[in-house]
Amino acid sequence: MRYTELHVTTNFSFLRGGSHPEELVEQAARYGYDAIAITDRNTLAGIVRAHVVAKKYGIRIIPACRLDLLDGASLLAYPTDKDAYSRISNLLTVGNLRAEKGKCNLYKADVYQYAKGSKFIIIPPATLNEVFDFDDAFNKVVREYRDALGDHVYIAASRSYGGNDAKELYRIAQLVKQFNTPMVATNDVHYHHPMRRELQDVVTCVREKCTIHNAGFRLHPNAERYLKVNEEMLRLFRHYPDAILQTQFIADACAFSLDHLKYQYPKEITTNGRTPQEELIFLCWQGAHAIFGDNIPEKIKENIHYELTFIEQASYAEYFLTVYDIVRYAREKKILCQGRGSAANSTVCYCLGITSVDPSKFDLLFERFISSARNEPPDIDVDFEHERREEVMQYIYKKYGRDRAAIVATVTQQHHKGAIRDVGKAMGLSIDTINRLSGLIWDFKDEGFDKKRMISQGINPDDVTIRKVLELTAQFIGFPRQLGQHTGGFVITQGKLSDLCPILNARMEDRTNIEWNKDDIDALGFMKIDVLALGMLTCIRKAFDLVKKHYDVDLTLANIPQDDPKVYDMVSHADTIGVFQIESRAQQSMLPRLRPKCFYDLVIEVAIVRPGPIQGDMVHPYLRRRNGEEPVDYPSKELEEILGRTLGVPLFQEQAMKIAIVAADFTPTEADELRRSMATFKAKGLVSHFKEKLVSGMIRKGYKEEYALRVFRQLEGFGSYGFPESHAVSFALLVYVSSWIKCYYPDVFVCALLNSLPMGFYQPAQLIIDARKHGVEVRPVDINESDWDNTLEEKCGKYCILRLGFRQVKGLRENDMNMLIKARKNGYTSFHLLRETGLTESVLELLADADAFRSIGHDRRQALWEVSTKDHQLQALIPNQLIHQSIEEKIALPEMTLSEHVVQDYAVTSLSLKAHPVSFVRKQLEQLHVLSAASLEHAKNGEFVKVAGLILVRQRPGTANGICFITIEDETGTANLVFFQKLFDQYRKEIIQSRLLMVEGQLQREGEVIHVIVRRCYNFSKLLQQLTSKEDYLSLKPLSRSDETSSPFLSKN
Amino acid sequence: MAKRFVSIWFRHLATDWFSLRQPLLKTLPFVLRAPSHGRMMITAANAIAEKKDIHRGMVLADARAIHPSLEVQDDKPEILDKLLRRLAEWCIRFTPVVAIDPFDGLLLDASGCAHLWGGDVSYLSDIEKKLTLRGYDVRIAMADTVGVAWAVARFGKHPLIIKEGMHIEALMALPPEALRLEPEVIERLHKLGLHHVRQFINMPRTSMRRRFGQYFIQQLNKAIGQEMELLEPVQPIEPYHERLPCMEPIVSATGIEIALQNLLETLCLRLQQEQKGLRTSVFKGYRVDGKIEQIEIVTSRPSHNVKHLFKLFELKISTIEPALGIELFVLEALKVEDHLPQQSTMWEGSSGLEDVRLAELVDRLASKVGMHAIHRYVPDEHYWPERSFKSAVSLHEKLTTHWRVDKERPLQLLPTPERIDVTAPIPDYPPMLFRYKSKIHTIVRADGPERIEQEWWLQQGQHRDYYRVEDEEGNRYWLFRLGHYHDKIYLWFIHGFFA
Repeated sequence: MRYTELHVTTNFSFLRGGSHPEELVEQAARYGYDAIAITDRNTLAGIVRAHVVAKKYGIRIIPACRLDLLDGASLLAYPTDKDAYSRISNLLTVGNLRAEKGKCNLYKADVYQYAKGSKFIIIPPATLNEVFDFDDAFNKVVREYRDALGDHVYIAASRSYGGNDAKELYRIAQLVKQFNTPMVATNDVHYHHPMRRELQDVVTCVREKCTIHNAGFRLHPNAERYLKVNEEMLRLFRHYPDAILQTQFIADACAFSLDHLKYQYPKEITTNGRTPQEELIFLCWQGAHAIFGDNIPEKIKENIHYELTFIEQASYAEYFLTVYDIVRYAREKKILCQGRGSAANSTVCYCLGITSVDPSKFDLLFERFISSARNEPPDIDVDFEHERREEVMQYIYKKYGRDRAAIVATVTQQHHKGAIRDVGKAMGLSIDTINRLSGLIWDFKDEGFDKKRMISQGINPDDVTIRKVLELTAQFIGFPRQLGQHTGGFVITQGKLSDLCPILNARMEDRTNIEWNKDDIDALGFMKIDVLALGMLTCIRKAFDLVKKHYDVDLTLANIPQDDPKVYDMVSHADTIGVFQIESRAQQSMLPRLRPKCFYDLVIEVAIVRPGPIQGDMVHPYLRRRNGEEPVDYPSKELEEILGRTLGVPLFQEQAMKIAIVAADFTPTEADELRRSMATFKAKGLVSHFKEKLVSGMIRKGYKEEYALRVFRQLEGFGSYGFPESHAVSFALLVYVSSWIKCYYPDVFVCALLNSLPMGFYQPAQLIIDARKHGVEVRPVDINESDWDNTLEEKCGKYCILRLGFRQVKGLRENDMNMLIKARKNGYTSFHLLRETGLTESVLELLADADAFRSIGHDRRQALWEVSTKDHQLQALIPNQLIHQSIEEKIALPEMTLSEHVVQDYAVTSLSLKAHPVSFVRKQLEQLHVLSAASLEHAKNGEFVKVAGLILVRQRPGTANGICFITIEDETGTANLVFFQKLFDQYRKEIIQSRLLMVEGQLQREGEVIHVIVRRCYNFSKLLQQLTSKEDYLSLKPLSRSDETSSPFLSKN
Repeated sequence: MAKRFVSIWFRHLATDWFSLRQPLLKTLPFVLRAPSHGRMMITAANAIAEKKDIHRGMVLADARAIHPSLEVQDDKPEILDKLLRRLAEWCIRFTPVVAIDPFDGLLLDASGCAHLWGGDVSYLSDIEKKLTLRGYDVRIAMADTVGVAWAVARFGKHPLIIKEGMHIEALMALPPEALRLEPEVIERLHKLGLHHVRQFINMPRTSMRRRFGQYFIQQLNKAIGQEMELLEPVQPIEPYHERLPCMEPIVSATGIEIALQNLLETLCLRLQQEQKGLRTSVFKGYRVDGKIEQIEIVTSRPSHNVKHLFKLFELKISTIEPALGIELFVLEALKVEDHLPQQSTMWEGSSGLEDVRLAELVDRLASKVGMHAIHRYVPDEHYWPERSFKSAVSLHEKLTTHWRVDKERPLQLLPTPERIDVTAPIPDYPPMLFRYKSKIHTIVRADGPERIEQEWWLQQGQHRDYYRVEDEEGNRYWLFRLGHYHDKIYLWFIHGFFA
């Protein structure tokens, strides 16, 4: 007689289960179970993981769930075949869609409707009443279930060691006789091992929002809810052997496995009765002719033939067609898009318009795009303009219907900080201690916290409670906490999606997603398309529109002139503020060293300034080889093929993985697992296992240990910020396009960029300053001239004039401004006309603050005086009445100085077109021998210099050993400062507090790149305060409470 | 008589209060914090912290970044009100009219007071000296109007005593903040370049009202004295306290009893009227020789029942030694609680714990045998039997949970389980017989096991398997086995008796 556990709650019943599905399945396999059911509460979210592990261990899981109903006793449901499974999945979908996210509202009637083909087990109440019997209500419900579900209904019996086990079993046995519903033994498993009881108690506390000390009877009285061995279960049910037998019957009846789910591509993607492959061939050649004309180059032809054959063999045609359809829709709606991912850079995708990267620009074999090792569908992500992606998503929902398309879930995992907070709270630690502990969380290593650091925070690492908290935290990390929505991964099916997996409402309106995440989908071989949002595409589209409007040139991603030396020249000089990807400080300092000359150089540029290559210490070797300072050689012959394109230095994720395969004898699957294990901190033990395998494998094949370790470190870096070559290629195109626009149309570029913010590194002020440097004239916001967006006006010199829009003014709302623009007609000439638009006083005041009344001859102060009256609403009601205000006597307000205006400009729009604040204190700075940023160029390498400016950006990248990079700006330009860790600690206060920072340090010059290695720094913000303070106003600021120490009264006594 | 007002500004009221309790804080940069919008904000900083550029309103993390060793404590905003009130009451020694100026000041109507101290200067210096001695950092100003006194205390330069009739002039050089305006109005005035009162004090009132509102005009008028500003004085609260002076010194117990009776009647009448009842009370006799005799009672629920209270005192009257006689009796209610009149119950005695007579009985018993000899138990939510109940703090403590009825528990639980010898078949069958106090009990009926695990967060150890058993004589016992039957050694215990 064999026992099968049929009642298993995993941690996908959020805050109820105490073990991962994987752990439970592993334990079952260890105990020799043939099968185990997974029955989470109203969800199937955990079954795929369990399934994957079960396959690995050669046992079977029974996909099932526990149905908690709103109007009756809970049921365990076990589908026996695929159709029954679909019904259960649909049942959960119905319940999910009725309720808000995270809930599932189900009733008995729903269960009856979807019950066909499933077995059910009724869960009796936890306790008996005072005469040791079940309440009548339960007897009634058993009768009802029996009548409705017939022979397929059973009653669960558990030995929970509650004291009344014998009585409960006896009562159940009575019911069995009465209703002829067999008794089934279960152990109501909540964790895989009794040790997990503590964590299960803690998650109960988190769920019930209480502490372990006042949780009381909400916890289980004992640790019996663990997965027990077969013999023990047989012994516990020795008086009811039939209950054990029934588990076997049910397990045998439930032959359904997740492997039976067959994914089918949607079919409505072909036209004219063609098969998918025929359709793909047709569209591909059509596209090729559109691009190349009648004479398609031989090489392209060859590629197309080759790829199409490959696609046919793997039967991926539907996949490509589905992606094509989405892209086609976007293009129809003039939404800019660009594909990326392993399959996106193929010639076929180029012909289909999924990508605009010319495949002849780089030399990659098609097989590279499709990982044949993992039998997974190809991977194409499509980026869309971020402002219009929703349209594309709604198109997908509309075309395939909500029952066939949904977004993939992301399982939100318990992260360090949250875990320690939850556990700490549940264990009754004070908020203060929890804060201090979670402050230490970044030091959390596999081995736990560093004791010294804990002591320094006033925490006793040997305290029993603290130790327990840390121990449980370590277990709790990685627990799933809720199902979120993937950023844009869509699953689309031919049949109903809810036949495969329950669908639920996402938190966002108009979105639905499934319960499974990306890995689950991968494991079952479903197709997924990532519909992603990219701000730069919005910017580029806006730029194309502006170019069309002001220069009458039609641009597309594909028709931008390629390989323009002028563009590469600009990029090589690090003139890349605002350009996609290569605008950061780190990228800017790399560009003059790398000096990109062709498209593939940009691909490398995108990939090289990333944690992977930096941590792997691959950047400098590459630069040296590129500059010919070091010979290009390869660690071995076999690596030459892999590393050829990058001068023997691995830079891309694929290369590092390939090295693992070729040089350390990893199987492709292992290499992929290795990469994934890097990404999730959860699988701790695995990482060191792989490290061992990789390094020893490479040494065995004759590589140097040092090289092997570097490759491993690089893989570690890729883990969280993986950047494969195929993505770099797609991004590089956008880099080139945005650089090209910046190079030829700086006016258009800055305007489009400003209208697409927030994105990228820079604030509007820096973008505008950069544009002015390139000869673009910029005009301020004005009530008569501005639109909501920034606009281009007539040409002045080479470029159009940029007129700032109302969106640059903090606090203004688009609706109000549209009202203002609509009523503008021939322009406002007086405040009366403005008031009649119905704009409120506060809006007008904001406009006055923005100094937007210049066109009617008022500066901000005069305008504020005029608009800040309280009675204009009255006037709006009774227009054209002469009210006393027009004869109000003129008041002479103090005149504003230019510096005051500049300060106000900064306060309102974060920038001033009038002057730079630092220019007002230049004299004082000169007296202190402070250089301007521009004059640093003339300073010598190694010279000691002083420079001062407003702080633009502070960066402390994790890869830089605590070095802090700060960029400051004065009226002549920007200067790059470098603070080493020690200096940073010493001048922490200045760095954080200063607006105007003055530094002394040594100039370092590396080609075109100039840094100041800071030795000393000062907070000069007080100088700026002078700009606003007239006369003695500063001294009249509310007395700082510490200004005065002695008292005039006391001194007398 | 000309009006004169004093404004006292406590510059570091909150941090001063903390420093008074932890004197070490005086020497450290020290701030108080409170959460706001998910961040920790500094709500008060002491002078040393302010010197280091750490001010209230900063995000704590920023301040810590500037000065990592900053001393931080949680703000207790609720104390400030009380503290100010206490300080106000204390200030009544300087003038009868003291008002609270939220959140960090006091306002005194000093009209006709200063001359008692010999003039304005010595008056203010006395106030400042005394407050400083008490540990508060203050800035004190005096002027003809409340508004200007307030303004000068916070924004003025020395001298802080504005001579009579000079208050408008004093106001001229101050910033608009000095007028106690809404922040938006202040900001707008600055934006318009109006950084001093003198720049706008003479502007046409109509223009000003339309831009800055009626409140602005009001505040301005109050400051210059065109509008009266009334202070709302704080009043000390009357304590519950009755006195009975005697014409002749009392020496007899009867005399004392009469006095007690008299005082109780007056006090209880007052308590009754105010719907209060006393919990603690002291009866004092001031002896002719200057010594004070006193007796104290405690009740278990608020009471204003003269008879009952008298009985409680009565037991202790014998301890009073009148010696040469007592000339003054004082009865004080030290602890008073609300005592709302209860609806009289239809059937007397059916109200259980609510029954006044039970409470009174407990009081009387307690005054004889001591409170510690009387216990009341309430259930506590623990599975572990020794922790499943706790002693109640009072007779009226509400149950936080119900006594469990679904798991049977013995009527008598042994304080500590006692070892027994047992014959029991393994693995988890109930015992067949056991020996307790050298008597052998043969078990005829049994139920169980009920497995109760250790509460791991309190204690480590093995679980217990409890059995309810009945012997041949029909007595029922609660036994348990400590530890798992897999283990080689496990022990049996008896833990209680059923009826």
